[in-house]
Amino acid sequence: MDTGQCVHCGLCLPSCPTYVETGLEGESPRGRIFLLQRLHDDPSMLNAVTTEYLDDCLDCRACEAVCPAHVPTGHLVEEWRAETPRRGAEGDSPALGGFRGLSRPLSFFLGSPKGLLWLQRLARWSQWPVLGPWITRLRFVPQPARYLVRGIPQKIPKTLSRYRTLPSLEGSRTPVLLFVGCVMDTIYADTNHHTEDLLALAGTDVVLPLEQRCCGALHMHGGDPAVTKSWAKENIQAFETSGASVIVVNAAGCGTTLKEYAALFDLADPWHARAQRFEAAVVDATVFLSQCSLPTLADSSDVHITVHDPCHLAHAQGIRQEPRTLLKRAGYALQEMAESDLCCGSAGIYNLTHPDMAKKLLDRKISHIPKTVAWVAAANPGCLMQIQSRLCEDPKGPGAVHPLDLVWNAYRQAGLIHPNPDGLVSR
Amino acid sequence: MRQQNWLEDLKKIVGVRNVLTDPMALLPYSYDGYTLVESTPRAVVLPQSRDEVAAVVKILARAEIPFLARGAGTSLSGGATALEGAVILHLSRMNHILEIDVENEVVVVEPGVVNVHITKAVEPYGYFYAPDPSSQQACTIGGNFAENSGGPHCLKYGVTVNHIVAAEVVTVDGDVVMLGNLAGEIDGPDWLGLLIGSEGTLVIATKLWLRLTKQPASSQTILALFDEVDEASRAVSAIVAAGIIPAALEMMDQLAIDAVERGPYPVGYPADLRAVLLIEVDGERHEVLETAREVEEILHSHRVREVRLARTSEEKTRWWANRKTAFGAMGLISPQYYVQDGVIPRSQLPEALARIAAIAKRYDIRIANVFHAGDGNLHPLLLYDGRDPQMVQRVIQAGSDILAVCVELGGSITGEHGVGIEKIEDMRRQFGEGDLKAQAAVKTAWDSEGLLNPGKLLPTAPRCHETGSGPVKRD
Ligand SMILES: Cc1cc2nc3c(=O)[nH]c(=O)nc-3n(C[C@H](O)[C@H](O)[C@H](O)COP(=O)(O)OP(=O)(O)OC[C@H]3O[C@@H](n4cnc5c(N)ncnc54)[C@H](O)[C@@H]3O)c2cc1C
Ligand code: SF4
Ligand code: SF4
Repeated sequence: MDTGQCVHCGLCLPSCPTYVETGLEGESPRGRIFLLQRLHDDPSMLNAVTTEYLDDCLDCRACEAVCPAHVPTGHLVEEWRAETPRRGAEGDSPALGGFRGLSRPLSFFLGSPKGLLWLQRLARWSQWPVLGPWITRLRFVPQPARYLVRGIPQKIPKTLSRYRTLPSLEGSRTPVLLFVGCVMDTIYADTNHHTEDLLALAGTDVVLPLEQRCCGALHMHGGDPAVTKSWAKENIQAFETSGASVIVVNAAGCGTTLKEYAALFDLADPWHARAQRFEAAVVDATVFLSQCSLPTLADSSDVHITVHDPCHLAHAQGIRQEPRTLLKRAGYALQEMAESDLCCGSAGIYNLTHPDMAKKLLDRKISHIPKTVAWVAAANPGCLMQIQSRLCEDPKGPGAVHPLDLVWNAYRQAGLIHPNPDGLVSR
Repeated sequence: MRQQNWLEDLKKIVGVRNVLTDPMALLPYSYDGYTLVESTPRAVVLPQSRDEVAAVVKILARAEIPFLARGAGTSLSGGATALEGAVILHLSRMNHILEIDVENEVVVVEPGVVNVHITKAVEPYGYFYAPDPSSQQACTIGGNFAENSGGPHCLKYGVTVNHIVAAEVVTVDGDVVMLGNLAGEIDGPDWLGLLIGSEGTLVIATKLWLRLTKQPASSQTILALFDEVDEASRAVSAIVAAGIIPAALEMMDQLAIDAVERGPYPVGYPADLRAVLLIEVDGERHEVLETAREVEEILHSHRVREVRLARTSEEKTRWWANRKTAFGAMGLISPQYYVQDGVIPRSQLPEALARIAAIAKRYDIRIANVFHAGDGNLHPLLLYDGRDPQMVQRVIQAGSDILAVCVELGGSITGEHGVGIEKIEDMRRQFGEGDLKAQAAVKTAWDSEGLLNPGKLLPTAPRCHETGSGPVKRD
């Protein structure tokens, strides 16, 4: 593990959510790098405190984005996690143990369309008055999820977003592949449809290969990269046979993982080069659409939006302006919140494995939302669920929604997109 | 009277979770931005209010345990490293902006507030906080207070001491004292001026009143690309000699440019460039246009290869971000770096740079130069590999030689990074026996037992300089 290039300058400290929250050097990127260095030299130094500090890392990449020496702290912690199972009980944190408990059900639910349909069904049922509380108490549902479930949309579609036949546009060029994801394919299937509609409005053909898989991000962050690797291969294959030139992704977390597929494979492995071509084709939906000539709508300045910058969009992919550009073009008035790019605590399944820290970060996020906004736009399902799980407490207050849902809604109201039988943005 | 259960007492004040004693929790505190000396604190305490600070200090003083404050730990001279088994008061949780008083043009902050957060908070009112160390995205006001920090824009606006109008401090006995006043008038001895820059050896600041500066109506950032370092430094002298006071006037040499271009904010400098000047002029619009034209003329009379004017605020921000990450970017061209910080009269720039180059050659190390050229504040960055103990020694020696050059040319051994642990011996170069005695008397007056931040600033105690591989470890 090469942590050598950290020059201990400390410039990363204020960008790190866990440092900001705790004020502890050991909970900062610089502290984590230092601990990793020492553990590397002497593994016997590992104790409960070290494990807690390292394991609290959200892998939000905020530190990596600001580090002048490009120290990949988030990645290094992830690498360390991947080694943890082998270390056995003494190095195990409750949080990591937690992930391992989840790993198997996650592989089932996320790993195939069949599992996804079940996930969707459970999510839908969880919103029913009597069944809901029972479902969230099933053995494989971690306790904090009972709270989180409140963050999912009330109206969950009945089928996967990938099962949609899309008309081919006249005279269109090479199609783009819409990466439907897992949570997006089920709970946020509407957002996927909205993305397709917007792509069509921009004059782009969309293909939805049924063979595509979950990106594998959750397993990657949880220290189980073997699963990620096998799903990566299926996604690469699906892309190669699709005839598409671009892979459009509307979930920041998936986008980041997809853009890092090549690192899963050895340089000598033929899959490496294939993964590189795949990576190069991945584009975030907000970036793709902001480069298309979507019509500019008149200001409807009465609807104020604030933007939350998902870590895996802002820090990992450097995308900040595009969601704002699209929202403004669709006629919304933006009102910025403080620390818009500080993690909301969602971070994959961090909110399930580290409920305390996740809650503190969520409290902080909520406190920064301006009182006058109607919506909090976040281009990542994890953030949407996390933020909405709190916002739902106040039915008159703002809701959390994907920026593309808002954009879609504006164009629909302007009569540019024809009503979708599934209805409006659901809260 | 020595008290045994001081740890228990501390926990009663700040809570169990805010007293760290686990060796692995303390380890990350064993150095700050200065990595040549490593020393682990006896404990770390995280107080959250002035009263907690005062109570903690009282307990430690009674138990005769040395202690020191720590902000972000970006000090480049070891100021925030705990020597002699000291306890660290980490003020990271005292990070609230308490009041923005636009009428009096003052902002009231806790010491753990990050420098740049102040400017961000007052921007909507048309103000900024002028001292802008290159570490401003991380360093805290408490640290700035202790180090009297400067930054690129201090050439025109002055350093920290010119911008703190009042401070609430806790003395070694745990007493709370208020110094200065909102008007920024000095009545009687300037105690506040004495404490600012005392490197955390006299008091711990718990609340600061900072002067706000009106944003200039307009500004222009200029990049001047040079084929020769000499010409660039002559241009600097010529600009200042012409009576122009730019808001900032920075210089980087080839090695430094190489590093920042690999960093997160590349500007697109040509690879064969020998030096670049980053100049900013600000003020009323017509004034800025006029001055920028004058600067351009001077640059052209010094064989500049190319002059670029920032066209957008994004461009300007990027040029500055590129410059401000220079130290950290050294990690991209070397495992470690040791930054020196000396001051020379501006007219001596070409001479000083030539001598630094000679020192690099003599010790067979690489030295990159990034500095506040406008006020003659040099920052030679000595690149090294900590795994090579001989190289570490050469680097320490070369650093010391550079300081000797600064003193010889009529300058000083520290511009803004402080003396800390690093330059404690070099103090003897700069000051005579009498000066040092007087300084020691000041220290004794505030801290008779020598409990606050021991082993820093004043070369009183004998120095045990062990040498080993990598950083020098101290207990
Ligand atoms: C990349 C980089 C660039 C830098 N650029 C500049 C620059 O341009 N100009 C410049 O001047 N410096 C610069 N520095 C040095 C450093 O950032 C400054 O000295 C800064 O003021 C330190 O602030 P800090 O919060 O990190 O303090 P720390 O490093 O935590 O502490 C520094 C000293 O302040 C004392 N201290 C901290 N808080 C208090 C308090 N509340 N009361 C009393 N004493 C206290 C500590 O005991 C210690 O002695 C740079 C450092 C880095 C790493
Ligand atoms: S990780 Fe990067 S930003 Fe943080 S201390 Fe190390 S070099 Fe500096
Ligand atoms: S990845 Fe995020 S949580 Fe982890 S060290 Fe970096 S900034 Fe902190």
